[in-house]
Amino acid sequence: MLYVILALEVLLVVEAFGDLGIAMAGGAMAFLGALYIWATRHKFGENLIPLEREEMPWLYDGIAELAEKANVPMPKVYLLDDYIPNAYSFGNTIVLSLGLFEVLDKDEIIAVAAHELGHIKNRDTKWFPMVTYGRCLMMITTLALLIAGSVPVKGAATVLYIAYELARSDFMKKREFLADETALRLLKIPMSLKRALEELKYYEDLRMNVKVNAVPSIEPGIEREKRFAFFTETHPSYEERILRITFEMNNLMRMKQVR
Amino acid sequence: MEPHEFKLTEEGIKAVLPPLEAEIMEHMWKVKVATAGQVYEYMKQKHPEIRRSTISILMNRLCEKGLLQRSVEKGRGGMRYVYSITTTREEFEQKVVQRILDALMTNFREATYAYLSRIKK
Repeated sequence: MLYVILALEVLLVVEAFGDLGIAMAGGAMAFLGALYIWATRHKFGENLIPLEREEMPWLYDGIAELAEKANVPMPKVYLLDDYIPNAYSFGNTIVLSLGLFEVLDKDEIIAVAAHELGHIKNRDTKWFPMVTYGRCLMMITTLALLIAGSVPVKGAATVLYIAYELARSDFMKKREFLADETALRLLKIPMSLKRALEELKYYEDLRMNVKVNAVPSIEPGIEREKRFAFFTETHPSYEERILRITFEMNNLMRMKQVR
Repeated sequence: MEPHEFKLTEEGIKAVLPPLEAEIMEHMWKVKVATAGQVYEYMKQKHPEIRRSTISILMNRLCEKGLLQRSVEKGRGGMRYVYSITTTREEFEQKVVQRILDALMTNFREATYAYLSRIKK
């Protein structure tokens, strides 16, 4: 769906601007391609610390075991010097913030790593940058069409942009759920993923000042910047993920019983 | 750390810090250096329902207030954050008293002088 929308956008640009449109679309794609190459080579921040096996054998071996089970190469693992619990992946790399180690136990951290490994196995770490660069392309071309296009072209550009945002949001959310499903199949203790998400949800709630009466000292100073996403939200809520994981775990248990 | 409010009805450092933060600081002044996990184990004895997330958030809040400092340590069990005190309890109390008296002298100079001279006698 995303590719169809992108193709329609390029056609619209060519239709609206002729040869100049071809040059614009080509130029924008070349620029984004160069940006992709640059970004993949300059990804590491100063706060990333490579994980050596001797430092945390339980984590290194746990991820190695998951990788073997998932039939993917052992990913590079980095620790991020950030007190807020967080994890992400890119390429064949998993990043875990040190904040995770303060709020989760070992099984739960392995579960978070399994979710990220799920992204790697499902090739999301390749797809997600493409989708993001596609979004940049849509922004550039839509802006050009809105400035210089005719009224029908402006309308079509707006519709295509909204369609892309909706499709992107839907795609990203589905991939998050899929990474959870993959993790559940990889984990020895699938329940640990649910527990990890529950604790992270609690952390987020506390952070977002929901439980202000329980802990009166939580003030906006500790808040992370809240990204206002509107209809472009790319991550499902913790509640949605926990609910789906519960269903999926029930399914897995039933399948085991049938066998 | 500069206290910005003083609760007349609270005892000790709870007058200038929220209750859980005050309890964490009382413990930290005793042990001087600890991980969030160690503080969690201590706090759990008095508050069985408390969660690790709560302790982590509060300890980082205390870092923001300048009462604790956080550093990365490579120890047994791997890399982790270690928190240490930035000021002794005595220094902290002196700062509180100084800040309050400064505020009183600025806002109620005559009355503060009169009261302090009465205490002195």
